[in-house]
Amino acid sequence: MKKLIAILLFFSFAVFPQSSVEDIKSFTLENGMKIIVLEDHSIPNANMYLFYKVGSRNEYPGITGISHFFEHMMFNGAKKYGPKEFDRVMEANGGANNAYTSQNITAYTNWFPNHTMEVMFELEADRIAYLNFDSTMIESERGVILSERSTGLENDPMEELWDEVQAAAFTAHPYMWPVVGWESDIKNWTKQDLENYFRTYYAPNNCIVVIAGDVKYNWVKTLAEKYFAPIPSGPDPRKIHTVEPEQKGERKVFVKREVPSPYVLFAYHVPQTSSEEYYALDLLESILSSGKTSRLYKSIVDEKQLAIDIGTYYGNAFDPTVIMIYAIAGQDVKAEVLEKAIKDEIEKVINEGVTDNEFQKVKNQKLMGFYRSMETINGKANTIGTYELFFGDYKKLFSAPEDYNKVTKEEIQQVAEKYFTKNNRTVGILNTEEEK
Amino acid sequence: MKRNTTKNLTKQSGYMNALMHECMQTCSHAIILLVIVGSMTFAQFQLPKYEKYTLSNGLTVYLMEQHEVPLVYMNAIFPAGAVWDGEESGLAALTAEALLFGSKNYTKDQIEETFDFLGAGISANAGKEAAQVSISFKKGDFDQLFPIFADVIRNPSFPKTEVDKRIQRWVAELEQAKESPRGVIGNYFGKFIYGENPYGNPVDGTKNTVSALTPDDLRSFFNLHYQLSKSCISIVGDFVSEEIKLKLDQVFPPSPKVDLPLLPQQIQAGIDPFIENRVLLVNKDDSRETTFMIGSMGVAWNNPDIIQIDIINTILGGRFTSWLNTELRINTGLTYGARSTFSNRKYSGTFYILSFTGTENTSAAIDLTLKVVERLHKEGIDEETLTSAKNYIKGQFPPDYETAGSLAGLLTTMFFYGLEDSYINDFEKNIDAMTVENANNIIAKYFPKENMQFVLIGKADEIREVAAKYGKVIERNLSEDGF
Repeated sequence: MKKLIAILLFFSFAVFPQSSVEDIKSFTLENGMKIIVLEDHSIPNANMYLFYKVGSRNEYPGITGISHFFEHMMFNGAKKYGPKEFDRVMEANGGANNAYTSQNITAYTNWFPNHTMEVMFELEADRIAYLNFDSTMIESERGVILSERSTGLENDPMEELWDEVQAAAFTAHPYMWPVVGWESDIKNWTKQDLENYFRTYYAPNNCIVVIAGDVKYNWVKTLAEKYFAPIPSGPDPRKIHTVEPEQKGERKVFVKREVPSPYVLFAYHVPQTSSEEYYALDLLESILSSGKTSRLYKSIVDEKQLAIDIGTYYGNAFDPTVIMIYAIAGQDVKAEVLEKAIKDEIEKVINEGVTDNEFQKVKNQKLMGFYRSMETINGKANTIGTYELFFGDYKKLFSAPEDYNKVTKEEIQQVAEKYFTKNNRTVGILNTEEEK
Repeated sequence: MKRNTTKNLTKQSGYMNALMHECMQTCSHAIILLVIVGSMTFAQFQLPKYEKYTLSNGLTVYLMEQHEVPLVYMNAIFPAGAVWDGEESGLAALTAEALLFGSKNYTKDQIEETFDFLGAGISANAGKEAAQVSISFKKGDFDQLFPIFADVIRNPSFPKTEVDKRIQRWVAELEQAKESPRGVIGNYFGKFIYGENPYGNPVDGTKNTVSALTPDDLRSFFNLHYQLSKSCISIVGDFVSEEIKLKLDQVFPPSPKVDLPLLPQQIQAGIDPFIENRVLLVNKDDSRETTFMIGSMGVAWNNPDIIQIDIINTILGGRFTSWLNTELRINTGLTYGARSTFSNRKYSGTFYILSFTGTENTSAAIDLTLKVVERLHKEGIDEETLTSAKNYIKGQFPPDYETAGSLAGLLTTMFFYGLEDSYINDFEKNIDAMTVENANNIIAKYFPKENMQFVLIGKADEIREVAAKYGKVIERNLSEDGF
């Protein structure tokens, strides 16, 4: 493997040949809306991503899930385009869309043939400026969301456990509730709640727009001036000042549900994406779970046959968050056995650190990951937006390979030691019966 | 694992494409307000230039250079899917995965370590009709990875320890799979429609059949179904064709062509037409919702009207504003999503509508679904709706073939199903040629409306009577092995 390492170290410093930082241009309208443009003429299509800095972390008990509900309501009618017309007009013009809500942000994604870009601007401007809350639409959308929540729980026991572990790991910070919201809140939101939310969070100064594809920068600018610039800015939304207090002891959660074998989920508190420790933690996460030779998969799934699925999740976050480690036990494997095996692997990283080979491996994987995410105009827009939002500047995307390269093996071991402690851990188990 | 909550279940999740359509009667005011859209002219998407040739061993090779990203994708396809499982359901799927458990020159660890270390990808899996082995890597890593790829597709060793380990996990996975009604309803539906026809075989098999598989079973399946003369590899990405050709010649030196006949007759056997509505009710005691599929036979890949069928299906249940999603989701809030699909195979196909709803709404949702199907046949399609669907399909077509990986997949699909370049190159022309009159003929000819087959997974005690409204009920328990 030695020879490989030399080749790859050399390779790792190459930048992204398919787009460079100079290819990306941006401007900010007077109302505070920032627009980032990447011209890419590989296919006659383009996309428009609108990222609003609002997610379930901006909610409070009583209105949990409203960010996501709001996301759905953005498709239910404004001034020029009434209920159902946003999607009808978009699809009739060859466009398609989707949207997602996370704990931190709400993103709206439009994919369209390049010559219909003006229609996209018109549709978006109409709903940002004049969203309307039709009572009938609110009620049918409430049903849709209840179905969305229910179908998630119906089809995935891990989702049920996830909600419970999150609720235990956080005692103060709004990361404690599920993005979709608690059922009783979903059933009780009012039109007034939605209107307040709209006024607070859906101002252009709380939004970043990314457009990538077969478009011309000047044309984007002209359309932005015409459609987005007239929308008045709003007051800055309330800052989320709640800091999750330090966890002072291991927390345990049990969920009873009939399953063929137990589900196990660990949560450790870790810093937010903008933290200096992010890159070390991200590499640590890959060492644990990326690929068949990763620590957790190799040992627990392949060699010991204790689990049929294992993985980790360290999502982008504005505030200190958690790394999750999840596993589904193999046949006749007890939850406590699986739990111990995961702890053993974590102890091993803390005590013995990482090897040169796996250190280089995860760096190589990161680089390949970047290439893959930059293969499509869709991936480009999403990645640019992610870096702008969570790392504070889209340009960080291009220094990412170096930022990963700067991390040392020792730093990976240090973050493991610092954050993977018993006191900082919540362990959840979902099973048919509690083990004695 | 992604923890975001989305407007629609996405394409990427492998489940729902953009779902659903519109309601002309209830929102006729809307038409005036709409941007009036005529049929659009799009930059016609053409298949990029590629080269196709055959090696002495019979293997067909496709080379397509794409230099935008420094990556290379390779895809091999074999007639080695679950339709050839016979009694040993799951055999094709396990054989495909087991290719990566070791080969003549490489151990499982060596394969995994080499690919993982380079950040490269390797996967092998079987579907209903074909098995595919795919790799992707950085330009420059060809010489390290291609010999491994070539060895696993020609000389897999199927070590017993590894096969047994995988079977043990596989059985546990089959049990866990039943935790997701939406994940397994397709298996029930396939079996219900096809019965003993090989197209009814569930790809992942059943606990009983998979437990009984041995390395010898895998070996004999491999010897018959992984013949290079019946296969192709596509290589797409950042490389120089002349160099790759020389390398292929080194790795695949001249060797005699082996050409053993497969036995496709069984697969080609038709299905007797359904003569009545039937309902398969699968009980899941702790269900809070009912997941349902409604459908019948569809069409094969070589059907000359396949693109026209796709246009109509887009209107019925293939996009967010489709009629099904509009009624079941947008207008009534009964579900998060409803869609319809033509699942096309080489020799036959199925049509199904898929949705889910709270247990108490089962009857309302299914009644409404049937009403939408009835409306399609009764009212047909008008010019405006047709134009919208055409624009939608044309507008969303280029991104499907944006990456080297998707082009590699396209080339192997074209090889396996015998599609001509014109399928892609004339796609937009064929879309444009569709008229309202054609549309209504296509509906009458291909869209099932009677003798429908239903699969419902939910709480049987609460939906038994509802189920009986739709036809003769056959009951099963989700926990029973198989489908």
